[in-house]
Amino acid sequence: MKKVISYVALFILGFCFLMPFIIMILGSFKNVEYAQLDPLFWIPDEPTLKNYFYIMRDGQFLRWIFNSVVITVIPVASQMIFCAILGYIFAKKKFFGREVIFWVFMGVIMIPQQLLIIPKYIMFSDFGWINTYWALIVPELWGIMGVFLVRQFLQGIPNDLEEAAYIDGANDLQIFFKVILPLSIPVVATVGTFAFISNWNDLFQPLIYLTQEKMFPVTLGLASMLGKEGNFGIEMAGSAVSFIPTFLIFLFFQRYFTEGIQMSGLK
Amino acid sequence: MTLRARLKRQWDRNAIVYIFLIPILIHFAIFQVYPFLLSFYLTFMDWKVIGDPEFVGLKHWKYFLSDSIAWKALWNTVMFSVYYIVPTMAVGLILALIINSGVKMAGFFKGIFFLPVVTSFVIIAGIWGWLFRGTEEGMINYLIGLIGIEPQLFLSDSSQALPVLAALSVFKVAGSTMIYYFAGLQSIDKGLYEAAKMDGASTSKIFWKVTFPLLKPIHFYVAITTTIGSFQIFDSAYLLTGGGPNYATTTIVYYLYNQGFTSLNLSYAAVLSYVLFFIILMISLLQRRFLGKESNLY
Repeated sequence: MKKVISYVALFILGFCFLMPFIIMILGSFKNVEYAQLDPLFWIPDEPTLKNYFYIMRDGQFLRWIFNSVVITVIPVASQMIFCAILGYIFAKKKFFGREVIFWVFMGVIMIPQQLLIIPKYIMFSDFGWINTYWALIVPELWGIMGVFLVRQFLQGIPNDLEEAAYIDGANDLQIFFKVILPLSIPVVATVGTFAFISNWNDLFQPLIYLTQEKMFPVTLGLASMLGKEGNFGIEMAGSAVSFIPTFLIFLFFQRYFTEGIQMSGLK
Repeated sequence: MTLRARLKRQWDRNAIVYIFLIPILIHFAIFQVYPFLLSFYLTFMDWKVIGDPEFVGLKHWKYFLSDSIAWKALWNTVMFSVYYIVPTMAVGLILALIINSGVKMAGFFKGIFFLPVVTSFVIIAGIWGWLFRGTEEGMINYLIGLIGIEPQLFLSDSSQALPVLAALSVFKVAGSTMIYYFAGLQSIDKGLYEAAKMDGASTSKIFWKVTFPLLKPIHFYVAITTTIGSFQIFDSAYLLTGGGPNYATTTIVYYLYNQGFTSLNLSYAAVLSYVLFFIILMISLLQRRFLGKESNLY
């Protein structure tokens, strides 16, 4: 009996959570008139690819995706490298000021990014970074949370391996690449997936630093489309296309998301 | 050992620290520390993007105290938390309980519940905006029509817009709350359940007397992070209501954005951002005060 209740609840809730995505896919194949008048979103009578052709029409949408890729891939790669090395430094190296620096980093996590956006906007105006990729890439090259995750992970690993490598005459970089990095692949993958999601989905920072449509990432482009199209089919085709990369990353790295969430909240 | 040999050994053992930490500290100073201080300085200045800043003392802080829209925005943000925190925790806990109850395909459903967490707000808002259309063809209006409820305006109604946005946020983040609760449930000693069953406790009694109290650190952690998240809410208001109708969905961050980047009152926006910072700081300090060292959460 308990099992039955569990399954019923599972399917009802599963349907509720999946429904918006089903609506997105069904909607993207609909003609305007159907989309307007069909509140229940049945499978369209005359499915059409028109909406997809429409958004691909002048290459602008592809440009937005390209922009998103640029401002996502570079920080993801860089965060994986820097967070791995810094996590290693803070977990395993003894140096002057280590604890102080680390707790200053952790304290800064409490500062909401909305506070930094105004001074950063002023700084970036001075640098000439407004409407460039720099404003969205350079500040994201490493992340405090990622360093924290790697540190947590490496603190749980005994020092013997490193010691043995030192005695064999290996230097820091050799130890990092031959001993530490292979062990940390799961946590580094976690850092990468989190960086991907936060950069790919960010709306606030692009909204502030970018004003030219050709520089928009796909989030901001889609938001501007939602504002002016008023055509559900086209909006959903755009949403579906911009959803694909997120979905693929999620499909392949799902384990790392849930592990990362647990690691960041629970010691 | 000679001094040179010692220095050499020191370098060999710590070269990686100096090579990588120094650039990171410079980056940290430029993109975190300096903006934080600059923002505070800015609250005492008049600065209109073009031209030199002019010192005005506490003018912007005083204006904040008398700015009824800012207080309305703060109130809206508090109300948003009220609509949002308990449902997020409840839905997350229910999802975790189901996933944890030994059902088949638990991993698959966990993925479905988590999917909104990784999906852009723009996509989700686009769909929700359509579902909650204030016309008779809107899906939600159609569904409530089946049970005889009049069509509602939803996002265009100043008393309904904020709860609808809160519901959207619950949908967006309940999956991550589920993960915390799931981890919590897994760490509960199975022996306790067996002991309770031996004593003849009912399922609901076991839940309220054993499971629920043992999840206390998780409740607290989730409540704090959700509260902090709710004070930073922006995307859904920007995308769906533009802060309206009649400022009903103007949250503190939306107002900050509006002041700073629509009206170009950067200094006043800086004041608002510091107000936000103080609120979040207080919540975080409360967390530390109550969680302390006894718990395994940071």
